[in-house]
Amino acid sequence: MIITKKREFKELMENIKTYKSFFLLGCSECATLCGTGGEPELKAMKETLEAEGKTVTGTFVAKTGCQVLGTKVELKPFKEALDKAECIIVMSCGAGTQSAVELYEDKPVYPANDSMFLGNMTRLQFFDERCSLCGKCILDKTGGICPITACPKGLLNGPCGGCKDGHCEISPDIKCAWVRIYERMKKLDRLQELCEVTLEAKDWSASQKPRTLVAREEKKK
Amino acid sequence: MSFKDILNSGKFAVTAEVGPPKGTDIKEMIHHMELLKGKLDAVNVTDNQSAVMRICSLAVCKVAMEHGLEPILQMTCRDRNRIGLQSDLLGASILGIKNVLCMTGDHVSAGDHKGAKPVYDIESVQLLKAVDGLNKGKDISGNDLKGSTDFFQGAVVTPEANPLEPQLMKFDKKVRAGANFFQTQAIYDIEKFREFMKHARKFPVKILAGFVVLKSVGMANFLNNNVPGIRVPQALIDELKAAGKEKALDTGMNITARHIKQLKDEKICDGVHIMAIGMEDKVPMIMERAGLL
Repeated sequence: MIITKKREFKELMENIKTYKSFFLLGCSECATLCGTGGEPELKAMKETLEAEGKTVTGTFVAKTGCQVLGTKVELKPFKEALDKAECIIVMSCGAGTQSAVELYEDKPVYPANDSMFLGNMTRLQFFDERCSLCGKCILDKTGGICPITACPKGLLNGPCGGCKDGHCEISPDIKCAWVRIYERMKKLDRLQELCEVTLEAKDWSASQKPRTLVAREEKKK
Repeated sequence: MSFKDILNSGKFAVTAEVGPPKGTDIKEMIHHMELLKGKLDAVNVTDNQSAVMRICSLAVCKVAMEHGLEPILQMTCRDRNRIGLQSDLLGASILGIKNVLCMTGDHVSAGDHKGAKPVYDIESVQLLKAVDGLNKGKDISGNDLKGSTDFFQGAVVTPEANPLEPQLMKFDKKVRAGANFFQTQAIYDIEKFREFMKHARKFPVKILAGFVVLKSVGMANFLNNNVPGIRVPQALIDELKAAGKEKALDTGMNITARHIKQLKDEKICDGVHIMAIGMEDKVPMIMERAGLL
């Protein structure tokens, strides 16, 4: 999921200081799990804004805020509240914020959260980054552990000289990705494969931004 | 004789390091070069060592040549993508630089520009392959060069890495990628190093053992606690302790000299690399005590 973190309230206040009325838009997927854009967070934001003398014309937790058309349909019943609001505050990720930007061309839209990374939830609201969305997966070659993400240097062929007792030079809290990969491949009896293959310089063109993808096949006429 | 010829002839090679300063005042650096001139087989010029921004290695290599030293251009993958690295390699070649040491490079978080974007577009193994390609007239993308390079390329290895196996896997990959010589992380335990050499000797590469002179008990403890891949045995710490504060540096120099002499006399490896880290003026004395001058 997309991991989001609530921005400093004063930063948001600085963004919205000239506006008086707001519509709050959350998301039931990642932002709800992150505790940044579900019902309780929208309610708390409404109360905080009202305490600052602002008006909240309506709130809604979209099912999937990054799905533009679905969100558009879901927001139809809120037309009046949205019309009354001078500004929309989006409490999901940067994708959700930009859905609102696309749907409401004439209204300012501000993010309440910072979008951090694609993460795995390991415990309630504990998130780890494991995939960098690089566009060309190498997990088949690295025992299912991504060194592009798990190694701060994104090394493809083994550990650097900064590995200390199995941990990373940049933080003892990070286990060396290549020690993890090596141990896993050893366990899987695939060490030879790991040692014999030198991965070539990665083709980064697969992560050239902005990326688009049409996944459905066009229906034949 | 060139550094490459010395290693290939089987002569025990000695290299040391010059760290480019932060700023354009190079008087002290030139002074160190003058001290080392005629004594070393080559001198490494570090590349923004510890991720601290300094004069580029390439320019200082040129200055080293003008002062009678054969440089080893250290190249890290931290600050340049494959275009920048290859371009600098071609530039180094036309300046007459013959040796290049390919390394990953300390992470930016260790340095003085912590907010910088680390590059690591390619890494040490791939950089070695790139050098090998340039030597053969091709760039990383397979394009032909108009005039190829003729580098003698080397790499680094940490003989006392913990765990060691993944480090040896990378060592083997570096050999296959075209590394001709290796300079090691600082070693303090000759018997452990001898074990590493049993592995290294399986390959046709030259190994230069790395040395960092111990200045004090505090430094030895610092290295043990903070620097990856360095382990100073308790016996050496005790030796420094027994010498007392005043004589600690002198004792540290004796330890280095003694180890170098043993490596040479017993033909354990092909040479040594002395990382003086601010004590470049002490290098000739260490070499003298080791019987190298």
